[in-house]
Amino acid sequence: MTKDRFEFAITALACAIVIYMLISIFYLYVAVGESWSLVVSALFDNRVLGAIAISISSAFIVGGLAIAAAIPCAYLLTYRSFRGKGMLETFLIDLPQTFPPVTEGLVYLLMLGKIGLAYTYPAVIIAKFYVSAPFAISFAARRFKEIRESGLDVIARSLGAKTREVLGRILLPLSSRDLLAGFSLTWARAMGELAATLVFAGAIPWVTETIPTLVYFTAAETPQIAIAASVVAETLSIVALLSFKWIARRR
Amino acid sequence: MDCEEKIMKELRVENVTKTYGNVKALDEVELTINPAEFMVVMGPSGCGKTTLLLVILGALTLDEGHIWINGKDIDELPLDERNIGYVPQDFGLFPHLNVYENVAFGLRVRKYPEVKVRERVNELLHTVDLEGLETRKPKELSAGQKQRVALARALATDPSVLLLDEPLSNIDEATKAEVRVNLKEIQKKSKVTTLCVTHNPEDSFQLGERIAVMHYGKIIQCDTPQNILEKPKNELVRKLIAPMYILWNI
Repeated sequence: MTKDRFEFAITALACAIVIYMLISIFYLYVAVGESWSLVVSALFDNRVLGAIAISISSAFIVGGLAIAAAIPCAYLLTYRSFRGKGMLETFLIDLPQTFPPVTEGLVYLLMLGKIGLAYTYPAVIIAKFYVSAPFAISFAARRFKEIRESGLDVIARSLGAKTREVLGRILLPLSSRDLLAGFSLTWARAMGELAATLVFAGAIPWVTETIPTLVYFTAAETPQIAIAASVVAETLSIVALLSFKWIARRR
Repeated sequence: MDCEEKIMKELRVENVTKTYGNVKALDEVELTINPAEFMVVMGPSGCGKTTLLLVILGALTLDEGHIWINGKDIDELPLDERNIGYVPQDFGLFPHLNVYENVAFGLRVRKYPEVKVRERVNELLHTVDLEGLETRKPKELSAGQKQRVALARALATDPSVLLLDEPLSNIDEATKAEVRVNLKEIQKKSKVTTLCVTHNPEDSFQLGERIAVMHYGKIIQCDTPQNILEKPKNELVRKLIAPMYILWNI
């Protein structure tokens, strides 16, 4: 057997990257170890609890709204042909993921601030939705297109199914895993969103302050609060993603 | 079932043309399938057979011509209102539904009462000899069983016409003869006007009461298997059915 040096080199490089990524994820727990008693007591700080409540509740609402939005958008992108469809897909799915969230927060502030939505709980939802929902839309659209290619929708229609039945009896049941995956990524992205939320919703404890905004404000002065909030956010994200994946695999 | 629905229907394809860019997939296709007849359209891959099926089904729009079922022009009818049974090459069973639910699909979307659904599904499962497999998922079935489920599902709503796309191409050689006989028997029992497309001359001659030989989007000859064998219209038809002369030792 000849030694493939190039293969060895790319494997080593991949391993180095993996180690770097894992350290990036888990170093936070090392930091906790150094001052764990302070961090544990900070966990029960009223402001931290508020940020946890706002983050989790808004992420679930955003996840639910994203799924509700993903279904009609995916249907449109799969079944309707019109000029500029590719462009629409870019605007709906790709752009929100690359557009600077801070700018989007400013757009919402200018657009919706006038009607009194700025610095409210709905503002948190609106800001997080824009940057997170594309995950759900892109997962649903990809799956709907796969189903269309399989021709199962044509068979359903040949049996008399109208759009409502094609959606309810074919597209949705066959996309449940993908919708769940889209929900989980949307949820995780919403949990981590900082800039748009900060600009449009501010950081009012127990109203609009989320874990990322709390970390942003406390990192320098009271790091134990920031660490406690980060540990909660990171642990929740890891646990949530793993459980969503586990559920999706079981279905 | 509605009595009117059970009347055997004639399918007429009149002057149908379908073009993709510069390619004429269907070139003024004329074809009449008599009530309860088993018609096979035979031709090499890419000759337009599947396009013809999809145009009749309503999944593709035609550029010119008309499709008639019992004298009624169905060109403008959407796919879900044509009441045409369709069995694709891969059988197209809904993977998340079991055998019973697959067969019941068309009846349920048409809001049949559950008692009628059960009665009809059981009757069909008996016809296709699949009783006892109601709760199996498609992935737990053999290719032959899948085909019978797909047939039962397509026949459940008493379609005017049944369209079969390469029905034997996914069946292994060992069971092909048996599946072919079953297919013919089920069609005879249900008396449904059937249009089947295949590239395989042997399947065509075994299944079809009449065969339409298709090439480059045109029907070159349409006749009984016997007449096609004895009097092929031209050299091309003779070439396309050549395997039959060897198989049947003619």
